[in-house]
Amino acid sequence: CVPTDTVKNHASAGVETQIDLTNQDSTYIGEKACLECHKNAGDHASMGVHVSAFRSNPQNARQREVCESCHGPGSKHAQETTNRSLIIGYTKGWGTPVPKQNAVCLTCHQGGQRINWARSPHDVNEVACSDCHNPMMQNSATGNLLRVSINETCYTCHPQQRAEFLKRSHMPLPEGKMSCNDCHNPHGSPTRPLLKTDTVNETCYECHAEKRGPFLWEHAPVRENCVNCHQAHGSNHDKLLVAPRPMLCQQCHDAGVGHPGNFYNNSQTAESALQVGGVQSQRVIGRACQNCHTQIHGSNHPSGARFQR
Amino acid sequence: SGWTYFGALELGGMWASGERAWYNLYKDLPTAGLYLNNFYFKARDMQPGKGYFVEGLGGALGYRDQYSGINVGRYNDWKVKLFYNEIPHTFTTNYRSLWDGVGSDYLTLKTLTPGGTLVQNPNGTPNQAASTDATRTNLLNAINAGEGGRDLELVRRKGGISLDKYLSNTWRFYGNYTQEKREGARPFGAVFGGGGGGGNIEIPESIDYDTHNILGALRYDDGLNNLNLQAQVSLFRNNIDTMTFENPIYALTNTVLTSPTGTAATAVTPGSMFTTGRYDLYPDNDYYNLRAEYGRSLPEWFRSRLTATISLSKMKQDDDLIAPTTNDMSGMFINGVSAYNNWNTTSALSKQSADAEIDTQLFDIGLTSRPLDKLDVNGKIRYYATDNKTDYQACNPLTGQWGRLINDGSGGAFVIPNATAGNNPLGTLPTAYDTTGCNLDAARALGLVPSAGNTNLTNIPYQYSKTNYELGGIYRLARGQSINGRIEREEYHRDYRERDETWENMVKVGYVNQAMDIGTLRASVEYGRRRGDSYDTDPYKQFYSISLGPEPTANLTNIASWIHNIGSFRKFDLADRDRLALDVRLDLITLHDLDLGISGQYRDMDYPDSDFGRNDHQKLGSATLDLNWQPSPKLGLYGYYTYQQSTMNQAGIQPNGCIIGNYYYFYSDGFVGTGTVPAAPARAGATVVNTVVVASNNWESQCGDNSATSPLWPDGRIWKTDTRDTNHAFGLGGRYDFGFARLELDYTYVKGISSIDYDYNSAALTAVPTAITAATWQLAGNGMPDMDYNQQALNFNLVVPLSKSVALRA
Repeated sequence: CVPTDTVKNHASAGVETQIDLTNQDSTYIGEKACLECHKNAGDHASMGVHVSAFRSNPQNARQREVCESCHGPGSKHAQETTNRSLIIGYTKGWGTPVPKQNAVCLTCHQGGQRINWARSPHDVNEVACSDCHNPMMQNSATGNLLRVSINETCYTCHPQQRAEFLKRSHMPLPEGKMSCNDCHNPHGSPTRPLLKTDTVNETCYECHAEKRGPFLWEHAPVRENCVNCHQAHGSNHDKLLVAPRPMLCQQCHDAGVGHPGNFYNNSQTAESALQVGGVQSQRVIGRACQNCHTQIHGSNHPSGARFQR
Repeated sequence: SGWTYFGALELGGMWASGERAWYNLYKDLPTAGLYLNNFYFKARDMQPGKGYFVEGLGGALGYRDQYSGINVGRYNDWKVKLFYNEIPHTFTTNYRSLWDGVGSDYLTLKTLTPGGTLVQNPNGTPNQAASTDATRTNLLNAINAGEGGRDLELVRRKGGISLDKYLSNTWRFYGNYTQEKREGARPFGAVFGGGGGGGNIEIPESIDYDTHNILGALRYDDGLNNLNLQAQVSLFRNNIDTMTFENPIYALTNTVLTSPTGTAATAVTPGSMFTTGRYDLYPDNDYYNLRAEYGRSLPEWFRSRLTATISLSKMKQDDDLIAPTTNDMSGMFINGVSAYNNWNTTSALSKQSADAEIDTQLFDIGLTSRPLDKLDVNGKIRYYATDNKTDYQACNPLTGQWGRLINDGSGGAFVIPNATAGNNPLGTLPTAYDTTGCNLDAARALGLVPSAGNTNLTNIPYQYSKTNYELGGIYRLARGQSINGRIEREEYHRDYRERDETWENMVKVGYVNQAMDIGTLRASVEYGRRRGDSYDTDPYKQFYSISLGPEPTANLTNIASWIHNIGSFRKFDLADRDRLALDVRLDLITLHDLDLGISGQYRDMDYPDSDFGRNDHQKLGSATLDLNWQPSPKLGLYGYYTYQQSTMNQAGIQPNGCIIGNYYYFYSDGFVGTGTVPAAPARAGATVVNTVVVASNNWESQCGDNSATSPLWPDGRIWKTDTRDTNHAFGLGGRYDFGFARLELDYTYVKGISSIDYDYNSAALTAVPTAITAATWQLAGNGMPDMDYNQQALNFNLVVPLSKSVALRA
């Protein structure tokens, strides 16, 4: 059992908060003393927001300690530099437990977008803030990230999504026009999967506001959840669809009259129409069902009950 | 002064050739010329007590994928951010348009005649076949003569400003305003004619959207309490609310006839009458959201943290509705009622504006505690609900007719009293419903059997609520190792869906090991079991003409439209489902300079009660290998490979028919014939194995579900598909610094193969076997052609420093 002492620190608001740093009762020694051994780190960190803010316009007493604001008081560490229990490190090799690392970050960053960090998937899986962020380097344009971009940072643990964004039909992430955090809040959310809004649909409406409606004539699965029909990241099929049309529509529609339940096949393609026995069907070529049911996300036309206008 | 400055600029020339539509999907590639690839600059005053900064970045200036932004502020005090970004979306670079005015609210045919080419018989009546052929020929000629090489695209231009200000040590304000302008056109389609549509035409949809977003937020943090208060308004405006296009095709009609007593078979409408079509494109809409999030740390009470969220939203639009058609419908009749000037006015509508609204509410509360050093426990309840307040009746107050004129008047979907003798009292007029003046209760009170069961009477205000109950925890096994688990129940209540209630019970277990010197392991398994109450294949009756009167009983009544779907069909979002999810990620530090990542995902969704629709197992497997090697500051290499495979199955039945009084003959080859006498006609190569007669008292049991002897859904007409996607993604790259130059290389290879295989009984789907039908089924084969997608991208850069501040990139 490791005895635990506490060090009184100044929280972001100036309120004293107990933070379990490590087994020590060090005192602050100041940035200058740190830089005697860590000059390179200081040079790199000076390009980032944290050190810049702490040096030029500290918000509270704790931030005035600059390096020790995040790493904890360093007097004992300075005396015994190889004892890993005497200072908080943010690398895997240093061994500071992830919850302790994150607790330090949350001292200042618990509010705002991190308000739901506790219990979030990244928290439960003990992902360290430093797994994604590195305030000691200027690797990214924003966010003090470990990699050059938000997307590259997320791909380090989510390569499946990287592969999906490379598919034929995809959100414009590879082109640099979107970031994962346009839809997700990696720091926690009441909405799965870490979505920034209340539902999948409200997330989609952020960019596709025209589909928000509401409409006179609604399409039930569309109104409830866009991912009933669309993949969120990428797909081999047109418009990020989860399955090719007309089969996708036929997963719900097989009415007793009309065409929804018909067997559509290769004799009805444009190419087959050039051969004996082939007859092109407007329900197979092009956008298939949406050649006629164009307003499939909902219609405001008085005649639009079947989404044809 | 205390300001320091630094920045970079990458400027050069570019040349490109060839078909670029795919590459230009979200990019703008200049064919030649100067190109500002990117730039950034920073200026900071780092003197104590100052902390001011200015940052800017941008790229591709002058092109349709340009971006730029500037941040000005003071660290720990305030920040103003401005940004501008463009995203092109190119659909094709070789578009041939039949219209002028693409991108506007009116598309004018360049050369073709609106309404198609009318060819008349010697007696002056329209020659339907000749008109269709002549129109098609003229269309082909116009397309071939048209200018190609035009882009069909739209561009999003978005800009905004935000302010972030610390009001005090505890309060912080954040606000932003963004505006997006989206302009251009995209591929679209239009259909004319009634029912399933008699004619399709590919048209461009004009896009001209403005979206304004305004957000204001206050954040509070005193170290123990956190509060976020946020108000958001989003206003979508479509500057082309209504798009009219001149119609180049010769439209045939049904329901809408040229004589008050005519029939669909005898009435031939002059196609040239339907010269234009008109779309009511997406309406303007408003969105309002108020959101409050509260977090409270309770360190003295089991080191707990409480979080709560309340979010209330309103989506609404009140766009003016448009008339069903622009045509005066001169000389046309709908079920005996003159259509002349009865449908080309908004007086034909039950209301003049949409007045559509959906309100939503979210309540979420959660608590996490650490009663023991090794144990975290947490729980959560989440409730989300939508309230749809939209109502609309499809009834024309001018005529009292229920139903709707479709496809700009070239077709109709109306309901009248059933005309089959015996269903309604003798002498019942086709206009009987009309006399109730669009009073639905009065129409129902007539007690008349309607002509069909599937005509829309009103909209369906879909709404639902979802409640999640969650209990979880983390147990720390040893330093750096933990297991986590969660049990959860998700309950849905839906109005007007096949199931009122569905619920899913879920359990998840995860394991994290960060204690290994060689790396980190994370693994989890999740299982979910979704079930629900009884499945009603037709929960929509009150919104359709089936609710107007009793079920038909008379012989010769086609009853198929009274049956909504196969009894054992299950819509996949409501169906029973067993779900398994496996995730594993192993990050290895094999050498001090080599990182290796191995990850895999497996998803299996089984639909155990779905005979039709998405059924069987839907599976997805994904495996990735990642490598990063940095042996020296000069050399860095990376590589990755991802393999994915997914499968999805579904089944359906091509409907046959269900007419009261008719005999259905089931042949040994699966074919189903029909007639009005018990004796079945002979069929070459097959024998009759069963005969079923549909009666007024058994049609629901006979036709409501599939079976070997179902007249409507006979098993012989079952078809099944198996969709399979296989994907490979491979990336390799790195950089090497020679000192005098830096070499950068990135290579990506993507391959996707999608296949659709199917099973069916061709004999069951063939009325009369002929050489042509045999050729048809030979073409149909066992599946659609595979869709292959291959993409290779090689990015090779040589960066030669010319001086301390200038480098050449080639």
